[in-house]
Amino acid sequence: MQQSRRALALVVLSWLVATLALSGGAASAESAGTPAEARTVRVGTEGTYPPFTFHDPDTDELTGFDIEVIRAVADEAGWDLEFVEAPFDSIFPALDAGRVDVIANQITINPEREARYLFSAPYTYSRGVIVTAAGNDDVTTLDDLDGLVAAENETSNWAQVARDAGAEIRAVDQFAQAAELLVQGRVDVVVNDNIAVLDYLASSGSDEIQIVGEAGEEVSRQALTFRQDDPELQQEADDALARLADDGTLADISEDYFGADVTVEDAAEVTDVKGSDTRSTAEVVRGAAWPMLRGLLVYTLPLTAASFAIGLVLALLTALARMSSNRLVQLPARVYISAIRGTPLLVQLFIAFYGLGQIGLTIPPVPAAILALSLNVGGYAAEVIRGSILSVPRGQYEAATTIGMRYPQLMRRIVLPQAARIAVPPLSNTLLSLIKDTSLASVILVPELLRQAVNAASPSADFMPLYLFAALYYWVVCFLVSQAQGPLEKRLGRYAA
Amino acid sequence: MSTTPLIEARGLRKAFGDNEVLKGVDLSADEGTATAIIGPSGSGKTTILRSLNVLEVPDSGTVRIADATVDFGDASVDRSTRRDEVEALRSHSGMVFQSHHLFPHKTVLQNLLEGPVQVQGREVDEATADARRLLEQVGLAGREDQYPSQLSGGQQQRVGIARALALNPEVVLFDEPTSALDPELVGEVLAVIRDLATSGWTLVIVTHEIRFARDVADQVLFLDAGVIAEQGGSEVLRDPQQERTKQFLRRVLEPG
Repeated sequence: MQQSRRALALVVLSWLVATLALSGGAASAESAGTPAEARTVRVGTEGTYPPFTFHDPDTDELTGFDIEVIRAVADEAGWDLEFVEAPFDSIFPALDAGRVDVIANQITINPEREARYLFSAPYTYSRGVIVTAAGNDDVTTLDDLDGLVAAENETSNWAQVARDAGAEIRAVDQFAQAAELLVQGRVDVVVNDNIAVLDYLASSGSDEIQIVGEAGEEVSRQALTFRQDDPELQQEADDALARLADDGTLADISEDYFGADVTVEDAAEVTDVKGSDTRSTAEVVRGAAWPMLRGLLVYTLPLTAASFAIGLVLALLTALARMSSNRLVQLPARVYISAIRGTPLLVQLFIAFYGLGQIGLTIPPVPAAILALSLNVGGYAAEVIRGSILSVPRGQYEAATTIGMRYPQLMRRIVLPQAARIAVPPLSNTLLSLIKDTSLASVILVPELLRQAVNAASPSADFMPLYLFAALYYWVVCFLVSQAQGPLEKRLGRYAA
Repeated sequence: MSTTPLIEARGLRKAFGDNEVLKGVDLSADEGTATAIIGPSGSGKTTILRSLNVLEVPDSGTVRIADATVDFGDASVDRSTRRDEVEALRSHSGMVFQSHHLFPHKTVLQNLLEGPVQVQGREVDEATADARRLLEQVGLAGREDQYPSQLSGGQQQRVGIARALALNPEVVLFDEPTSALDPELVGEVLAVIRDLATSGWTLVIVTHEIRFARDVADQVLFLDAGVIAEQGGSEVLRDPQQERTKQFLRRVLEPG
């Protein structure tokens, strides 16, 4: 009982330490947001919406029309920029939670958004178009969308346009995916920006989708988006945009990307876009190989290692608490295990990142991912470890007791080494799952391996080869890990006859 | 020889649920003597032995070995004091189990060093020298670096004995040390115990080996249904007075 209480104290303590360490990191990130000489401004953007925001196929640098505009604004306003890439539907929550300060992502001004956010002066005037699979002649105007299925970013303005026209929305992360769904016949129609569609057609060389008409008469206006409590930043941006319009910088950037100036109200219509990624599939895959490997080495593997290490410690302490005869120690362990095993990892990641952020505990993406993944590993591995400890014969405890050992020493020197050998095969499974589960961290803004594949697929639309390539990377890592399992078992079991 | 017994147990009671296994048992043993506890299965003999090092916690009664005493009936003792008392009591004895319970992940030598070095904090070199001497004494010189799984049952049990001796305890407790062995291996283990008895160790042995007990024991306790039915020197086994003892001896000595 004494020991188990100490085990609980340890669990609580390590929790506190971890939480403090993580929230400390969050606090320092937060303080970077306070106005100073050169304010650091965090920019939310997709990075997967060419030609507005995407990764240059040759250099993998974040680029695009919106990126160049915000960079020009930052130069004028004296901001330091920090880009945070996220799926479209995560960008507004990120702004709400204070994880980014501004969105530069062709955000269309509409009444709903105006009620909640501040907008800069518009820097793009564009038209929406209706896109269908080639050969579909049934749709030409928005009136024809009633009852059809449209693929859109759930929270985008184009989704709203399609919804208002009576279409049913299927949520996707990026335009390239929507186009692919059209080609595969899984949806009927896509509404999007004229320029984005032209860029896709030029990049992919696809003749399987077609622009069939305009989405309404109105020209839509896109602007930088801010939180309502941050009018200062909006004012600085407006001042900067006005100067950039006056000195012709905005027009130059637009000409450069679209061959036309779309930054003024009576914009010339864009009819020809050169395409953000016109390379062959082989070139695309070759170009993506390094960013994906970097995503693997810099994010996937460290995320796995840190989460597994912390998770195992947590699992051990939880297993010991779970085995305690003291109900007050046992209960939290039971609740923890049940909560982790009874809820989806994706939900746990959302809670760690967006949920905690909303109640004032803003944790950066990687620590938040480690927090959620290690808690997840802890919950699952606790039962594995508990089972292994229970399988060590009672006599081992008695023998250790009679030579004078107390509980901690007995556990460390006698029971756990024997339990470790029993636990290796099931824990290997946990590790293999974890390696693959890190891909879910892409939804909380961690630019890991899968995210890199998604990035590469957005301008090129080469889904099959890129995702197969990502799968190959995961498989190689898992293969190597499972190869190590045999020798490890042998080492831990060298005493067995 | 001192007049105070080395081991003294008074009024030991223990029930598992409704089943009262010890109904007030007294036991005392002088230093340097071998005590054999015999009796039918379920008579409570193993429970007595395990009460002496508190692997089983008696409901009431006291146990004393040398200067360490635990009064199990005294509910006023707080938990940490009780733990200290129990540890002090345990530090005076070593135990040999029916199925050895050697640490399978440690070599023979490491099994012997675990207590002296890790618990008692003795110097490794000195403890190693002692351990090697003990292994020689139980006939296992040269087996230091083998794992228990590489030894025969009899050898394993002799390592178990050496491990108990390595603690340098005042008393060695044996819980049916030969019951789990193949018949042809029993002799080598009994020979080692006999050797200990003659060289002055204080032993308490729960056993079914009546002939062995008759040869080795200075004191014999015959336990029946949770009470000591007969007690005395080894003559208890040659010339029992109680009818219950006679019946038992007839059954085990003349099988069939």
